[in-house]
Amino acid sequence: MAPVAIKVENVSKKYNLRGGMEGSTISLKEVLNAPFNKLLGRNGHHAAEPFYALHDVSFEIKHGESVGLIGRNGAGKSTLLKILSRITRPSAGRVTLYEHVNSLLEIGTGFNTELSGQENIYLNGSFLGMKVREIRAKYDEIVAFSEIGDFINTPVKYYSSGMFVRLAFSVAVHLTPEALLLDEILAVGDAGFRKKSTEKMKELLGSGATIVLVSHSEDSIKEVCQRIIWLDKGRVKMDGPADVVMKSYLEFINSAK
Amino acid sequence: MEILRDKPGFTPVVITPAGKLDLPDFKEVWNYRDLLAFLVRRDLKVRFQQTVIGFLWIFLQPIIQMLIFYMILGVFVKIPTDNVPYPVFFLSGSLVFQLFTQIVNSNAYSLLGNVSVIIKSYFPRLVLPLSATISSLVDFLISFAVLLVFLLANHYPITDRYFLLPLLLLITVLFSSGIGLLFGSLMVVFRDTKNLLSYIMIIWMYLTPVMFPMSIVPEELHVYFYFNPLTSLVNAYRWVFLYQGELPGPGDFLISLSVAAVLCFLGLIAFKSMENRIVDVM
Repeated sequence: MAPVAIKVENVSKKYNLRGGMEGSTISLKEVLNAPFNKLLGRNGHHAAEPFYALHDVSFEIKHGESVGLIGRNGAGKSTLLKILSRITRPSAGRVTLYEHVNSLLEIGTGFNTELSGQENIYLNGSFLGMKVREIRAKYDEIVAFSEIGDFINTPVKYYSSGMFVRLAFSVAVHLTPEALLLDEILAVGDAGFRKKSTEKMKELLGSGATIVLVSHSEDSIKEVCQRIIWLDKGRVKMDGPADVVMKSYLEFINSAK
Repeated sequence: MEILRDKPGFTPVVITPAGKLDLPDFKEVWNYRDLLAFLVRRDLKVRFQQTVIGFLWIFLQPIIQMLIFYMILGVFVKIPTDNVPYPVFFLSGSLVFQLFTQIVNSNAYSLLGNVSVIIKSYFPRLVLPLSATISSLVDFLISFAVLLVFLLANHYPITDRYFLLPLLLLITVLFSSGIGLLFGSLMVVFRDTKNLLSYIMIIWMYLTPVMFPMSIVPEELHVYFYFNPLTSLVNAYRWVFLYQGELPGPGDFLISLSVAAVLCFLGLIAFKSMENRIVDVM
C-alpha cells in the first residue's frame, strides 16, 4: 500500500457574502457611517451572510495516485485546489501534505513582459518554488520543449500569444514535484503542442508523481486520472474509480438538464 | 525518484485555519531566497530598461530634485542652512527621506500590486515587501554615492562618525517598513485609503527638516517636528555627514530603535493577517 501523500480532514471554507458580492471590500466611509445607519434604524444592505464554498470535506490521496476533481461551477473545486496549494487557508479542518507539493493554477505566473524569455523562465520557476540550480539544470530542456528558439533572449512583450503560452507551459511541466496540483491547463497551444503537452503529462504520471487535476474536460480527466472525487455544493458527493464516478456524474448532469 | 518524507528531518506541511495574530515564517523566506533575489533583479531591471538613459537615471534623479530646491530655496529665498552649502544640506536630508518614502510606498503596495501572483501561486508573501525594501536600499546606495561626491567636492571629510551609519540605517529601515506594512494592510481592508497615502507623504516631507534646517522653524513648532521620528533621524544623519549639530545620547538611540522595531513587528503581524485575507477578498 502506497503511503499517504495528501490528507484532508473535515475542511470547510466559509466566505462572507456582502450584498451579493463575494468578499467585496469595504470603504472607510462605510465603516464610519455604519454606527449612524444603525442609530437611524437603516439596516445596511451589506449584512454579512456566510456561504460555505467547502463543507466538511475529507479524503486521502496516496502517493502516485492521479485524482481528478469534478463538479459543476461553484462546487468548490478551485477553492479546494487553492487550499491544497496553500494559497488560501481553510476556515476549519486541517490538510496535511506529506510530499513536496507544487501547484500550477495558471501558466505564466509572475511573467513580466519587459524581461526576456530567459529571465522569465527563472522568475516563473522561482515563483513555482524551484531553486535556481534546478532551473539551470533544466534550462536547455525547457527552451527546447517550448520551441522558442532564438527568441529566448527577446523581451516577452514581442512574443506572439502562442509563443508565450508555449514558454509558460514548458517551465511548468519541467517542475519536479512529488505531487502536482493542476487547474485546467492541459489544453494549450495548437494541436501539435497540445499533443506534446498531454504526453508530457503522462510522462510525469509515469514518473510516479501524485497528481490532482481540476478540469471540465472529460477527455483530459479520463486520460490522466484513475480516481475521481466529485464535489457538489461544497461537499464530496462521490469518490471512487474514474469510470464509475464519471458515469454517475454524467447521468446526474444530463438528468438535471 | 527521491521522496522527501524519507529524508531525515522532513516534517509534513500542515495547513490549518489562519490564526488572528501570526508572525511570518522567516525560515521559509530563507528557503525562498532565490525568488527574493530574482524579484530584486526584476525590480531594478524593469525600472531601468525602459528608460533611454537607463541606469544613469538613478544618479540624475536626486541631483535634479536637489537643483530644483537649490534654485528656489538656496538661490531665490536664500534660506539659511547653518553655513552649509545648500546642495550638500539638501542631499544629506533628502537621501534619508527618499529612502523612507520609497520603502513606505513599495511595502504598502507589495500585496495589492502583486495580486495576480498571490492568487495563483504559493510562496512566502513576505518576500514581496522584502524585495521592495532591498531594491530601495540599492537606490539609497546610489544616492549615497552622489552625496559623497558633493561632500568631498565641498571639503567635508569622511570621519569615524560614519561608523554610526549602519545603526541609523537599521532604524530607518525598520521604521519605514513598519509604517509601509501597516499602511498596506489598511489599504487591503479599506480600498479608499490608497489616495490618502500620497498626501500623507507630502505633508510628512514638510514636517521633516529636509529642505530647511530646524533653526528656521519657530520654537513653538518644534514639538510637532520632534514628534515626527524622522526629524531626529535626519539630524543624526547630518551629524554624521556635515559634522554639525549634536548627537542624541545612547538612551535616545535605544528608544528610537525600540520604537522602530515595535512598529516593524506590528507591521509584520498586520501583513501576515492581510496576506491570508487578500486572497479571499479578491
